[in-house]
Amino acid sequence: MFVQILFGLSALLTISCVIGVVATRNIMHSCVFLLGTLLGVAGLYATLGADFVAVTQIMVYVGGVVILMLFAVMLTGGKDFVSKAQNLLGLAPTMGNKWTYSLAGLVALVFVLTNVKLLSNIITDAGPKTFGNEMPSTVSQLGHLLVKDHVLAFELSSVLLLGALVGAAIIARPKKKQ
Amino acid sequence: MTPASFDGLMPIVILMAIAVALFLGGHFLSVYLSPKKPSHLKSTPYECGEEPVGTAWSMFNIRFYVVGLIFIIFDVESVLMFPVAAIFKEMNEMGEGGYVLIVFLSFVSILLEGIAYCWKKGDLDWVKSYQISANKGKK
Amino acid sequence: MNQTIVSYLSKYEFYKTLLDLFGGNESLLAFVIYLIAALVVILVCATIGGFGTYAERKISADLQARMGPNRVGPYGLLQVLADGIKMITKEDIMPFAADKFLFYLAPLLALVGVFATLAVVPWSSGFALTDLNVGVFYLIAISSLVGLGIFLGGYASNSKWSMLGGMRGASQIISYEIPVTLSVLAIVLMAGGMSFGTIVGQQKGLPFNWYLFHNPFTFIGFFVYFTGALAETNRAPFDLPEAESELVSGYHTEYTGMRFGFFALAEYIEIFVVCGVAAALFLGGSNLPININIDILPLQFVEIIIFITKTLLLYYVVIWIRWTLPRLRVDQLMSICWKYLTPIAIFNLVGCAIWMVAFNGRSLADLIIGH
Repeated sequence: MFVQILFGLSALLTISCVIGVVATRNIMHSCVFLLGTLLGVAGLYATLGADFVAVTQIMVYVGGVVILMLFAVMLTGGKDFVSKAQNLLGLAPTMGNKWTYSLAGLVALVFVLTNVKLLSNIITDAGPKTFGNEMPSTVSQLGHLLVKDHVLAFELSSVLLLGALVGAAIIARPKKKQ
Repeated sequence: MTPASFDGLMPIVILMAIAVALFLGGHFLSVYLSPKKPSHLKSTPYECGEEPVGTAWSMFNIRFYVVGLIFIIFDVESVLMFPVAAIFKEMNEMGEGGYVLIVFLSFVSILLEGIAYCWKKGDLDWVKSYQISANKGKK
Repeated sequence: MNQTIVSYLSKYEFYKTLLDLFGGNESLLAFVIYLIAALVVILVCATIGGFGTYAERKISADLQARMGPNRVGPYGLLQVLADGIKMITKEDIMPFAADKFLFYLAPLLALVGVFATLAVVPWSSGFALTDLNVGVFYLIAISSLVGLGIFLGGYASNSKWSMLGGMRGASQIISYEIPVTLSVLAIVLMAGGMSFGTIVGQQKGLPFNWYLFHNPFTFIGFFVYFTGALAETNRAPFDLPEAESELVSGYHTEYTGMRFGFFALAEYIEIFVVCGVAAALFLGGSNLPININIDILPLQFVEIIIFITKTLLLYYVVIWIRWTLPRLRVDQLMSICWKYLTPIAIFNLVGCAIWMVAFNGRSLADLIIGH
């Protein structure tokens, strides 16, 4: 019962913040709505029993990526940018228009419902497993997989992170004034 | 009958809901109890008694962003290390401690090179004050 | 085996009578117990937070050879109440060019971030509200919401002081998260799990079993964690974001009345939580000094008292440090984090891992005494 409530709350948070991200004109507000979306996704992970992934989502995305985006917006002066609807060929502007959003939303809804109907024979209703008095834990399973089966991927990810660090430092370094 | 497992997440949602309720309660309480006398002087941002000049939202030092980037890389690194650290003791007792140690150390050492690179190239230096750099030039 | 307060209470007789009262609906009973427990925890923490302000004024007065507040009530104890009433009745001013939505949202984010961390604090072995499998990781992750609240508060005020305070605050909080996470990683490595129940359970018995005295690496790790946690909570000597003599009041310059009260409450509760985590991770929080294996309810209350005592001792040290050390400059702050604390924390982590493998996880005391 509580899982349904948690799912409902997280889904509500996610969807309302997603609408907020695209509907608002202020880019800082968009970033904050993105924060809400990512929190909602973390809640959705929690309903599936993926506790480690949910907390990773909060730590990396909410605690890192959103702050970085906010810094980037501040540094590039992007917050003064107000999106203007564009005008193509003298017709009514198609970007940021209410009609565009409604049509796109309708198309997306029809698409999703068709897919669900097509796949409904394959997907069985696997509800969340209860584990008695323990809460589902994925940490030790992840640990074992990382060290035994996917150890090469684990090591290569550290090289990837090193590459990202060096690249980011080179790009973001302030240029020396001669 | 043992309680279902996801009930363990209830306190988190309850505490967040209490926080929101406390915030709204405090807000409405202060709406009722506080005086409302807006004046032009009260709503200008504080600048030590002077008239505020210019907008506050001007471009800032790029150092903030570089620090943020380095932080994200180390954040992802520590997140990746958490599962390995959580099973370290278990594997140690099974006799495979040496293997996990080597996996762990190679992961950490590659990122240690990263921090060494940033240190050497001066990405970790914040902006020094004008006097310090001026004095260094004088010597 | 995760012990939540509900699963702990389900071992007793009155749980069954309560269950019959609710018609056998386990989830509803669990919800009610969690709700009552959460309210009690928040009440306790808010009281401690409130008395934290009083304690700060009294202790700082003691350190500066003067009397603190002593007019309101006996020994000035009702000063907290007076301050609270004052804050509620102040006018709620918003600067006219401020960003309304973010101005309202910032204290809410800080408050939600701090309250959500209270869910995993291990008050005693049975009375932790919930004992998540990823407990300590969750705590570090969700306390970064406070940093976001600070940044948005500084930004939304449209004042130069607040903007500077907010940017510095956010970069300080995210920077110091790394040494904190790395020292916590060392403890997770040694305990073999991320849940607080596991970590505290490994430190049973005499103080020699505390992780503080386990090996020299965790000893250093405690100080790294404590310094990083001081910086995370924007506490002197790292209080540049709210520096009084430099930035007027930093990110909460433009906040008045109850909104400022929320920021202050969030800060004091966060200090308490951080000290509690330090007590649980390094000082064997809530464990009795002798190994009793009986499990009765009064013993749990003794454990709660032990935990709160250790936490309040660390709280006193935090206040003491604030009024003793001068404030750091911003480049000193950043260089301490990235050039000193992070390499030391990585060195600790590597050292702990090597110690675990070399000595098979035995502590220093164990090696000296036990063979």
